[in-house]
Amino acid sequence: MTEFAGHLPGLSAAEVEWRVLDFAAWGESVQVSVPLLTEPQGCALAARIRENARAYLKTLPVAEIVSTIDKAVARLLDRNDPWRRKAEAVLPVVTGYDPETVRLGLSGYLRTFRAPQLQRFLAEDFVNPGILDAFQPAVKGGFTRAYGPELLLHVWAGNVPGLPLWSLISGLLVKAGSVGKVASAEPLLAGWFARILAEIDPRLAECLAIVWWKGGDAESEQVWLKQADTIVAFGGNDALAAIRERAPVTARFLPHGHKIGFGMVSAAALDTRKAAPLARLAAHDVMRYEQQGCYAPQMLFIERGGKVSPREFAEHVSRELAGFARTHPRRALSVAEAAGVAAWRNAEEMRAFDGGSRTVLGDAGDPWSVVQVEAAEALAPSGLNRTLKIVAVDSLDAVMPLVAPFRNFLQSAAIAAAPAELFRIAGLLGEAGVTRISAFGRMTAPEAGWHNDGRFNLLDLVTITEIEQSAEFAAEGFAPYAD
Amino acid sequence: MTEAEIIEALLAFIDRDEASEAAFERMALAVFAYQFAHNQPYRRFAIQRGRTTLTVRNWRDIPAVPITAFKDLTLSCCPPEAAERIFMTSGTTQGGVKGRSYHPTLSVYDRSMLVNFRQRFMQGLARIEMGILFPDEQAMPNSSLAHYLSLAKRDCGAPGSAGFIGADGLDLPRLTAALERAEAAGQPYALLGASYSFVHLLDALAAQGRRFVLPEGSRILDTGGFKGQSREMGADAFYDALSAVLGVPRSRCINMYGMTELSTQFYDDGNAACPPVKSGPHWIRSRVVDPVTGRDLPEGTTGVLVHHDLAHFNCVSAILTEDAGVMVEGGFRLFGRVDGADSRGCSLAVEEFLKAARG
Repeated sequence: MTEFAGHLPGLSAAEVEWRVLDFAAWGESVQVSVPLLTEPQGCALAARIRENARAYLKTLPVAEIVSTIDKAVARLLDRNDPWRRKAEAVLPVVTGYDPETVRLGLSGYLRTFRAPQLQRFLAEDFVNPGILDAFQPAVKGGFTRAYGPELLLHVWAGNVPGLPLWSLISGLLVKAGSVGKVASAEPLLAGWFARILAEIDPRLAECLAIVWWKGGDAESEQVWLKQADTIVAFGGNDALAAIRERAPVTARFLPHGHKIGFGMVSAAALDTRKAAPLARLAAHDVMRYEQQGCYAPQMLFIERGGKVSPREFAEHVSRELAGFARTHPRRALSVAEAAGVAAWRNAEEMRAFDGGSRTVLGDAGDPWSVVQVEAAEALAPSGLNRTLKIVAVDSLDAVMPLVAPFRNFLQSAAIAAAPAELFRIAGLLGEAGVTRISAFGRMTAPEAGWHNDGRFNLLDLVTITEIEQSAEFAAEGFAPYAD
Repeated sequence: MTEAEIIEALLAFIDRDEASEAAFERMALAVFAYQFAHNQPYRRFAIQRGRTTLTVRNWRDIPAVPITAFKDLTLSCCPPEAAERIFMTSGTTQGGVKGRSYHPTLSVYDRSMLVNFRQRFMQGLARIEMGILFPDEQAMPNSSLAHYLSLAKRDCGAPGSAGFIGADGLDLPRLTAALERAEAAGQPYALLGASYSFVHLLDALAAQGRRFVLPEGSRILDTGGFKGQSREMGADAFYDALSAVLGVPRSRCINMYGMTELSTQFYDDGNAACPPVKSGPHWIRSRVVDPVTGRDLPEGTTGVLVHHDLAHFNCVSAILTEDAGVMVEGGFRLFGRVDGADSRGCSLAVEEFLKAARG
């Protein structure tokens, strides 16, 4: 099977050099051809996208853009649609995630981009989304209008399928010409989405391009960095620092660095009836996408004093992970990933020799690992790929000093607690730097309009043009009806 | 076995010309039994893995300790305070925690080093004039590499051999003078040191526009990689540069692969092509395993290296490294440290986190 990644308006496949990436999983293999553009091709493409966006996208009412995206998303949600069938067939091979995880993940994720959710998305950032279409009266007086960048560059990382759609759709909503750079680990879905848009509104699809270069290839990256007005980039801090350094000082740079997620369970949630279903939800968050997403939990803090002890809860989670290993098998690990899992597990085993306060559950050969710790321990990454540390604490308040030092890495936390405690703890977590609190089971599925990393998805992209009251009043003097 | 008996047996074993699989196995099982009896953390580790002297029948069954354990645990058969020498890792990772190897005597380490070094680096020469690009043992008493190089110089260095890294770093004027003398006298010369020291040397010579053509028979030994102490260089670029600037052919540029957690080193037969095949003497054996299960991988499949070094008798002899490699005819090819950075998605992995947390 051969697939072509990318979306290059105005360029024919024959003009472009292609590199083949090989993927294999679940007994199948896929070759994906990714485009390698020359510098003149890149510059010409950027100019074309910018011009097309100016001539067309920027003239569309935002409601019409929402409607077009809604139609494209509906195609991907329709299990009989050829694009959807292709996604279900090919993405498990490319990403290595089991077909069920991909199927459920796609549906759950795409649902957040239908018209009502997109309207919520807009409403989250703009009191009046009409500000994207025309000047709107401002509370302070005068009028304001929001403009997206002319050329928005997205540098995507990671291998959670479809993640790029988030920023790509944000770009469309603010009417930005978009160029997205896909990651080698999942180079397909963004390009497919562009091609579906092309079937619905060809002129809209000509306002965006999907390209590829090898991660860290500074020379290819430079071509695009110098074209963009705004750059949204995802990746590790070193990679982001390198981009920031090379980006023109006049470009707006919106980095999304690596993050670590965790969960907290109050004693109130630890009775014999509630603990097992809760453990299943926590295990689900660990299983989904093998903890490759920034929102995945890598550590749970469990309050002592419930009917179910932290140790018993860890055993529940272990059992659920063992169950998921059958229904959603872990993807095959690379040597590096396997070494990461082994190093983490081995280190925990070694520390378990220090005394009886640490238990490593499961066998080394199991496709999951849980470590349960009785003494308070600061937040730390797990070995990923279904490895989890479960730490007992005397109270949920005791968690704050364990996570607060890592403010720059905090993002999602799941909380299982009664309402009053939820709000109290949420306040403390917010102070510590956590930007998203969800239920267990929902960690890997943020809701529509989520403020990624605590920022405004759309508002951060736009600039506001104001007509001050003075100009409005002065204009009156020049009107033909002026006395 | 007592400590004296195991030392005596190992010295005799090293002095043999070679060892059959059966002979290696007998010695390996004896060493395992010794460590199982005297090294309590290792004993607990082995029992947890379901391995005891009763169940281990084959050297491949001997449980390999992950190399990070040398940081977390005191792995020693003798009381740590009874050690004649403690070698420590450089402590560049894990918040400066250093891995430690305890040596009740250096007799086994020294014998292992010298027998192997003579065969693989000296290649029939009794002595050769050496320039050492690493601090000496007085400056770094806990460095196994400093000790290794001092042994090389003491037992295999010809008169005139000297170290060129002091408190102020590389002593370039003295070194270039030594290289000039060797060039003029037509006497083969050996340069030995940390890989990063060679990068500093290359940069310093490039700044001066200096080049040498060391006499026939000259050789280079580098080890340890760059460790953030110099700019990183690809293997081909590194050996091309050494060859161009010092006039030593790449086939005479030998890389030593060793670690503080071992008492025996691996060598290649020159770096004419990279990565070369590395191998060790008859008292060390290597396996390539799936790091998660610890099971052997078939020859030709990339995995993580496990070394069984009988000379490392006082700590543990079987270690699971963090180095990727593949078994091939005559040894293994080393691909360097495994690093999952590219496959991690937007989640955070341990090292980056620790680095950031340390500031």
